[in-house]
Amino acid sequence: MASDPFETEALSFLDALYRTGLRMTRSEAEAEDLVQETYIRAFRFRDQFTPGTNLKAWLFRILTNTFINQYRRKATRPDTTELDDVEESILYNRMRDVSPGSSSPDPEAELIDNTLSSEVKDALEALPEKFRTTLLLDVEGFSYKEIAQMLDIPIGTVMSRLHRGRKFMQKRLYDLARDRGIAAARAMPRPAD
Amino acid sequence: MDCADCLERLYAYLDRELRPAEVTEVRAHLDDCGGCEENFVIEERFLARVRDCHTEDKAPSALRTRIVTRLRMERDAPR
Repeated sequence: MASDPFETEALSFLDALYRTGLRMTRSEAEAEDLVQETYIRAFRFRDQFTPGTNLKAWLFRILTNTFINQYRRKATRPDTTELDDVEESILYNRMRDVSPGSSSPDPEAELIDNTLSSEVKDALEALPEKFRTTLLLDVEGFSYKEIAQMLDIPIGTVMSRLHRGRKFMQKRLYDLARDRGIAAARAMPRPAD
Repeated sequence: MDCADCLERLYAYLDRELRPAEVTEVRAHLDDCGGCEENFVIEERFLARVRDCHTEDKAPSALRTRIVTRLRMERDAPR
């Protein structure tokens, strides 16, 4: 069977499309459906793709539009659309509060490193959809300009969503660590009176 | 460039979206300012961790097979 360069290159992005779909839908089954639908559309409309241009961006645009059109409608979980403004530099200013008496020379790094992978992904998935999508496209390596084009928004909006989305995630991870620290403090044996 | 300016540009700097002249300015400020340098290191670490955690997920192999099969069907279907 003759190989199809378009198919080969398109399939090389399967992992990236799947993991993004997973964060978007928050369901493995729905992510699989979303990705399959994305590839079917990509192949049906392959004549609209100009060879030599950015295939990854083209596929991600299809993924994003398919998600917005199909899945946003049937989302069962309520989705707030706005983020409260989060205090600047959350991590930097308040990290030392997390583990008082900690001997770690670098509590911020400790927090970031000790946060579970599942907690980081949960924090991403907890973002309201518009912020989540923007952040995901950034994590997948697209430029501000590419993201702006894919989502049909101004570059300024991309930057604002990235900034606020990241601060939201940091606050969430900080709160987790703080709660863990409180829990650890409570669990520690009291010194003998 | 003062700390406020640097902070404002920090994400764009980390995202490699600044013009070369601005990159130079930010870098110079970070070289001279311990507070902003610390901030930079934390943010860089945070972004790297988010990227690492997200990109560890792979598509199930059964999905790849299913998609390839489906694409063959699409291609071979009578027009």
